[in-house]
Amino acid sequence: MISFKSLEEELFYKTLRIRMVEERIAEIYPSDKIQSPCHLSIGQEAVAVGACHSLTNEDLIFSNYRGHAYMLAKGGSLKEMIAELYGKYTGCGHGKAGSMHLFSEKVGMMVSSAVVASTIPHAVGAALGMKNNQRKNIAVTIFGDGATEEGIFHESLNFAALKQVPVLFLCENNGLAIHSKLNARQAYKIADIPKSFGIKTIVCEEGYDPLKVHACFSKAIQEMKKNPAPVFIEVTTCRYREHVGPNEDFNAGYRSKKEVDIWKSKDPVCTNKKGIEQYAPMIQKEINEAVEFAENSPWPEAKELLNDVQ
Amino acid sequence: MTSNKAPKLNDKSSYLTLSQDFAGEVISFRKALTESMEFGLKEFPNTLIMGQGVDDHKGIFGTTAGLAEKYGADRVFDTPLAEEGMTGVAIGASLAGMYPIQTHIRVDFALLAMNQLINLAAKYKYMSGGKFEVPMLIRMIIGRSWGQGSQHSQSLQSLFGHIPGLTVMMPSSAQSILESYPYFMMNHKGPVISIEHRLLYDIDFRVSDIPRQKESSPLTSYIAKPGKDLTIVATSIMVLEALRAADYVKKNAGIDCEVIDLNCISHPNRQMITESVKKTGKLIVADTSWQAYGVCAEMCRIISETCPTALRAPVITMGMAPSPCPTAKNLEDLFYPNERGLVDEICKLVTNREEHGIVLPTDQSTVESYKTFKGPF
Repeated sequence: MISFKSLEEELFYKTLRIRMVEERIAEIYPSDKIQSPCHLSIGQEAVAVGACHSLTNEDLIFSNYRGHAYMLAKGGSLKEMIAELYGKYTGCGHGKAGSMHLFSEKVGMMVSSAVVASTIPHAVGAALGMKNNQRKNIAVTIFGDGATEEGIFHESLNFAALKQVPVLFLCENNGLAIHSKLNARQAYKIADIPKSFGIKTIVCEEGYDPLKVHACFSKAIQEMKKNPAPVFIEVTTCRYREHVGPNEDFNAGYRSKKEVDIWKSKDPVCTNKKGIEQYAPMIQKEINEAVEFAENSPWPEAKELLNDVQ
Repeated sequence: MTSNKAPKLNDKSSYLTLSQDFAGEVISFRKALTESMEFGLKEFPNTLIMGQGVDDHKGIFGTTAGLAEKYGADRVFDTPLAEEGMTGVAIGASLAGMYPIQTHIRVDFALLAMNQLINLAAKYKYMSGGKFEVPMLIRMIIGRSWGQGSQHSQSLQSLFGHIPGLTVMMPSSAQSILESYPYFMMNHKGPVISIEHRLLYDIDFRVSDIPRQKESSPLTSYIAKPGKDLTIVATSIMVLEALRAADYVKKNAGIDCEVIDLNCISHPNRQMITESVKKTGKLIVADTSWQAYGVCAEMCRIISETCPTALRAPVITMGMAPSPCPTAKNLEDLFYPNERGLVDEICKLVTNREEHGIVLPTDQSTVESYKTFKGPF
């Protein structure tokens, strides 16, 4: 275990670790060793770190296809994650899940889904089960701004509010659905929707800062564990790379490099050179080991094809 | 085939407990459903029953009536009109250790939940390398007659049966419910869709003194009537039509039909079906749905792939006319397969003649007879 001088330093380390993992995946990508559509979390890591820091392994999170950051922030195994991207048997899903369906049952990271908004009601249902069994845990659902356009988002908010279950709705608003901006898609303000169901709603506009994100979440989570009720937190964030894949795509013209540069200028993982210098070598070593583990792991055997269907 | 092993009969925690409670008795399909719902709530504290109207005075045609009062509004609750969202809630509750039983008063409404059923429920176990399972039961009811029309009458078993990861049940008797519903709750770790036919609810069935299945899972097919001249594979209410037709041709033409109740359409007993066809050389498939790409087509696949030379005549399939369901009674009667049509096909197949000369039963509406019908098993 590494000992940190402060919470800020610990959160910085965790955020940097995810960034470096994602950058390594982007480096490996052109080799074709990872044959799985990767929706990299680069730019959004601080949200996952800040949100997950106050959760226990018994608090369940339900993610979406941009889930690498949550797998790691929740404490899932880096080795199992990289091996899963490689399609190896030692991966969390024995090579049958891939990048878009990461999970770790040991730490309460539930299966993530490639279909937008589809795991939102799962967190609501899990929270219902927790409430019925008087467990003092919460369920968290993570989704993007685009998911708020889906009907099931509204259905889930309604039921969570109706039953007052301890579910935390985490909306990562990066302003983009693939290449479409918010103003092309939404006739509403996201935060107005949960409010209309009477759900406590918080907006955090500093999604680059894990400490500020953490402050929002730790307070909300503590309250939810005392008094079970749904909470909605919208965090403004920024996707640095293309929707899916390892590259930047400013040449496509749907947004400017300048927009992203402004965000990067506030991002500690870009600006804190001293911190990077301090922690990068040990993180690099851990990543090297995970990549080596994945490369040396066996493929799933043919019998795996029909295992665990029913 | 499912790998679940049934517990031993003398085991008090056996899923057969409920059916044995009614051994030798005559009870209705509705009563079997009501008993199985209560069994779930009483025996397993994590069972939830959720669906539109489950706690109202009608209680899903009586099958959940009074249970909210008895077992609490936390466990038996009405839901918003949000089929997809509520299916997702059931999946999440299952992942958190609950056993949700969800109801759709008509199968047609489940179409709104297809994303959750196919993209999520059916795939959790596979995508997680077996680490997560979503045990849950979804009851869907097929409507028929009195002008149900195009959107209250569909038999959509083939849509679900097509998907690996879903178990699809079509019970045709009280016994099937008494044996299989407790089995789902106690032994089956995945999502089950049970498609119940509304017209079966009022029919009485005698529960057998001995369990139909002792060694393995009840999620399989059964021989409803042994015979040697021809095989009829049927689903749901068509099992009763087939038994009535079999009875008629036995009395009126000396034809001895073997009737196979497919029962669990996602887990058909392939060996039973092929052995029967090898014995009789003739096959009629009678399904409640359309023939194309469905149960009828699947039975033809099984025979074509395993024993095509066993057939001594072309297969005959019977199902709904290839149209949406009309509401006018005369058209509706044409839309559904019935006993008369089935008898005609049996006679043609066995005599190998279009003009077989055997008198057909009177063309009364099948539905009329169900009102007073006392089931044979």
